[in-house]
Amino acid sequence: MKLAKKVISVLACMGIAGMAFAGCGGGGTGIHVITREEGSGTRGAFTELLGVVDENEKDAIISSAEVTNSTQVMITTVAGDRNAIGYISLGSLSADVKAVQLDGVSATVENVKNGTYKLARPFNLAYKDTLSAAGEDFIDFIMSEQGQSIITAEGYIGADDAPTYTASGMTGTVKLAGSTSVAPVMYKLQEAYMRLNSGVTVEVNEGGSSAGMTAAINGACDIGMASRDLTDSEKAELDFTTIATDGIAVIVNIENSVSNLTSEEVRKIYLGQLTDWSGR
Amino acid sequence: MTRDTVTARVLRKDLHPRGGISHRVTEGVSRILFLLFACVSILSVLTIVLFLLVQGVPALSEIGVTEFLFGSEWRPSADIYGVLTMVVGSLSVTAGAIIAGVPLALLTAIFLARFCPAPFYRVLKPVLRLMAGIPSVVYGFFGLTVIVPILYNVFGSGKGILSASVLLGMMILPTVAEVSENALRAVPGSYYEGALALGATPEAGVFSVVLPAARPGVSAAIVLGIGRAIGEATAVVMVAGNQPVLPDGLLSGVRTLTANIVLEMSYAADLHLGALIATGIVLFVFVLLTNVALAALRHTGRQK
Repeated sequence: MKLAKKVISVLACMGIAGMAFAGCGGGGTGIHVITREEGSGTRGAFTELLGVVDENEKDAIISSAEVTNSTQVMITTVAGDRNAIGYISLGSLSADVKAVQLDGVSATVENVKNGTYKLARPFNLAYKDTLSAAGEDFIDFIMSEQGQSIITAEGYIGADDAPTYTASGMTGTVKLAGSTSVAPVMYKLQEAYMRLNSGVTVEVNEGGSSAGMTAAINGACDIGMASRDLTDSEKAELDFTTIATDGIAVIVNIENSVSNLTSEEVRKIYLGQLTDWSGR
Repeated sequence: MTRDTVTARVLRKDLHPRGGISHRVTEGVSRILFLLFACVSILSVLTIVLFLLVQGVPALSEIGVTEFLFGSEWRPSADIYGVLTMVVGSLSVTAGAIIAGVPLALLTAIFLARFCPAPFYRVLKPVLRLMAGIPSVVYGFFGLTVIVPILYNVFGSGKGILSASVLLGMMILPTVAEVSENALRAVPGSYYEGALALGATPEAGVFSVVLPAARPGVSAAIVLGIGRAIGEATAVVMVAGNQPVLPDGLLSGVRTLTANIVLEMSYAADLHLGALIATGIVLFVFVLLTNVALAALRHTGRQK
């Protein structure tokens, strides 16, 4: 019992000391860097487009950056942290956070489309060459005027002059799996397609880009969805179609006075070379 | 509950001393049925182990066991896989959860077992059970929107060992409290009465006689708590910050083994995927160790 008391008192002292020690470091203007997890399509596009890479062209986001695998957690964290910086899909941008201008260009659909906003990534559908007629028809629908207008309405960037789609009375089942970034817009496409083609059942499963590619390769689904370019090993097995482009917004806290960053500054922040908001 | 079942079985045996034929048939059939169910659960454990080994070992040998276990850098994009930071992360967060949760849980258990007035018990007990049943994602969101902002405002940094420890402490509290309470109740009443008869106050009787007597059960409760804390993923991912770096303080962000898997599994391919499954093997070994510890504690408890 005596021992237990000693242990408890020592732990309590450690706890208090730890808190007192930690208390010294609070506040300030140190940049709080938040990133998506390794392998995320958003992160892959972000590092590649901004050149947040080492001498071997590999992802070099500073390891002390906070990591999350959820857009929602990213938004909540940035919304509650005055010194935070993060990045999310343009389509997920909410009023809780502020999207900064990159090199003086606002993160908007128009600017992604006209090429002035640099941070954008492809949404790809990948499939084997044995894809069923119904599967091909579904992709035709997505690439048509109707499909592309749904993509545009969701905040992503589609093609402008797409052909008109007419239903051809297909039957069958088309299974899709993959990117959680692509899935929300895919549900809308699925709904619209099945309204035109009552004979076809389209199923959409979310599980991440790589899981979708793996499923497409091993036949667990007909079409895989990826929010990034395909890797070489995936390209060897699958054909792909780019159905849309998605912008990536760099976000900061609403109270942050910064509203414009150069891409070099963002790159340095994520490399850990620029660590304080006042040091810009 | 176990005692009730035993009593019921004894009663039934008294009612049917020999048992009718139909009774025996039902018993035989259900015996086979239950054996089958038991086999299914054993088989699923074996399948999981097999899956981990088949998928993880090739990656492990490609990376190198030493590099994997003791490498402090995790950069899948550059094919660098070291889980040391996450082993440290898992251990520190679990230790933090024990420090934050166990004292509270033990005091709760003592209160429930010895001092709680009956009407209050009827409220407190279900609340505790409810607490155990709250899904971890709800705990995680609570942590993200309540605990993290509080810590951020006080210390200037929200996510890290401290936030994860506090949250995990809350999550293991009901389990540890409930198992400890049962252990405390299992101590024969004569111990407590004997202490009182020797002039101890009720508090002294509980803390220096009943609690030590219940130690094996209480230790088992703590080990159960450790198991839950080390295996928790969903909630921890939301509040720990998940940086794959060695922590340098209570506020430093950490990535746990579970968080590593949850974070990157959905996008991983090739060697990265194998490395994540190998992370699962490390985690599995940890859980195995906790279970062995639990079994050992139960064993010593029974011997006493």
